[in-house]
Amino acid sequence: MDSSDEALDIIVTNVVATFRTRCHLNLRTIALEGTNVIYKPEVGKVLMKLRKPKITASIWSSGKIICTGATSEDEAKLGARRLARCLQKLGFKVRFSAFKVVNVLAVCSMPFAIHLVNFTNNNRPIASYEPELHPAATYRIKNLKATIQVFSTGSITVTGPNVQNVATAVEQVYPLLFECQKPLNKRKE
Amino acid sequence: MDMSRAGLSCPGCGSSNIVDDDLYSQAQLVCVDCGSVVSEGTLANEPYGGIEVSYLRTTAVKKRLCANLIKGLERVKELARLLRVRGEIEDLALTYFKQAYEHENFIKVSLQRKEVLAGCCVLLSCRQQNWPVTLGTIGCLLSVDQMVVGALYQEMLKVLNITAPIFNVTDVIESHCQEYKISSLHVPEEMAESSEDLTKRAVALVELAADSWIVTGRQPLPIMMAAIYLAWQSLNPNKHRIKLSLDKFCQMAKVQRHRPALTRVAELKQVLCKLGKEIPWVSERVTPENVLLQVGDILEYRYALLRRALRTHADALEAEGLNTPTGETANPETSERGGQSPDASAVEACAPSAERAEHGGGGDANPDSLSAQSDPQSQDPAANWGKRMLFAPPCVLHAKRRRAEQPELHVTGDEEISDSEIESYIRSPQEVRDFALTQQKLSSPDA
Repeated sequence: MDSSDEALDIIVTNVVATFRTRCHLNLRTIALEGTNVIYKPEVGKVLMKLRKPKITASIWSSGKIICTGATSEDEAKLGARRLARCLQKLGFKVRFSAFKVVNVLAVCSMPFAIHLVNFTNNNRPIASYEPELHPAATYRIKNLKATIQVFSTGSITVTGPNVQNVATAVEQVYPLLFECQKPLNKRKE
Repeated sequence: MDMSRAGLSCPGCGSSNIVDDDLYSQAQLVCVDCGSVVSEGTLANEPYGGIEVSYLRTTAVKKRLCANLIKGLERVKELARLLRVRGEIEDLALTYFKQAYEHENFIKVSLQRKEVLAGCCVLLSCRQQNWPVTLGTIGCLLSVDQMVVGALYQEMLKVLNITAPIFNVTDVIESHCQEYKISSLHVPEEMAESSEDLTKRAVALVELAADSWIVTGRQPLPIMMAAIYLAWQSLNPNKHRIKLSLDKFCQMAKVQRHRPALTRVAELKQVLCKLGKEIPWVSERVTPENVLLQVGDILEYRYALLRRALRTHADALEAEGLNTPTGETANPETSERGGQSPDASAVEACAPSAERAEHGGGGDANPDSLSAQSDPQSQDPAANWGKRMLFAPPCVLHAKRRRAEQPELHVTGDEEISDSEIESYIRSPQEVRDFALTQQKLSSPDA
């Protein structure tokens, strides 16, 4: 099944990345001297939001920082570097290190509806479906470490460790979805 | 009582005539000749803590099963009896419970979780033996949230390495109908209904709901409740039944009402109206109020009516000129081929009725339609397929309007970062002083 014919649009909606600054950070100083920051003393972190790229970062005093909200891996890296520069300007001896994209979330819409019961029966035990718990069937690809949630309307959400894995996962699952499509109520009028 | 002890000599006189003498029931070794006590009982000689006896001898008891395992097995039997399931199901559940209980994932969990495990074993064996119950029922019986039951159920499946048939509403409705107490023994004559008729009609309604996107993604119990209510009303649509609300119906049948059931009733009635319009021998308009009279006919001929409705809808859209150039109209030949009987899908599922439900008027393999839907980039196809379809799920009909897409930043991640943009994130010293001052002022009146 050649998926390139239909040019499925995989839209990356969220990229989560972490990095370390290799120095202790004083959260109160950041909260005082930074704009766009929210100090959460009860949890022990500071939330800093950048405008461009639109990223929210959780900053811990140990120097570990988690960036969420980017829509591509490069954006995540740029945002992380901006953040590190910002902290440098605030006076901390920041060294940008250990940058790693940890999680990527993407959505994709199939041009057909999917019969979830058939899909699950064809792909056990990799696929599991409990309609009383969650309306989507879950398909976990172990070697890619990707999880795909398949909805009966044809939309799927994919989470994986990087964008390449996510794309591969969609390619892998497409033929399985195609053979379980529900033709009557979506394509027919 | 007086026994000679060989091999001992009295330290006082050297005689070897030493006897056991139990004075005040304390054993003593006494020399007969001089009367001195050679040794006093075993009390002094015992090692600290008592005579050394091997551990196995002291704890040797008859090997018994763990008490909580026994209790758990009793609970399984209790649940099986409450649900009135067959003997094989109970035995299978007991086997599973014994297996799962001993596993490391479950041996050390809390007693409450072990109880939930008992419920999950019953659920699993019910599903495997084709008498499915809902997670909600198990949750109700154990007084826990069905999500907890579900999570434990999935863990148990992984641990025992078992696959179970998937839950399907059309299977459960039969057993669920039994709970409704509306036979002639329980209620007055005009309200009574036999269980078989009710079940048959409710099953047909649920299959229709599955075909028209009402079932997918929703909780099964409200759907079943709505189907049974409508089935009951339509089997004898006298004025008593029509006037009785869903609430009062649930009270009468002694079942717990579910709030979403009302919406399901409305949705089902809408679908019935859409099909009722196509009945050739009904001349007046079919509205949600009078559709109850037609339900019997609608359900009997539902596949044909479905095809007619789809064709009418396609014709109407063609007239409006909304069809795509590749001609995504309903294909009459393929639907005729489907015939009155539903398409038997190639996949053998454990719930064959699911296939009948989902593949209602015959599936076709029209390759053209795929290419017609090849532009998912814009928002329009998503909205369009809702408008173009006769039946579509609510998430498509009321599609969320996505926020205006942020222009994609073409970045490499390694660009230069200018000082000016970083400055925008840092307060100037004056701002810092003002901010600190304001914070002080704000916090002091509070203190």
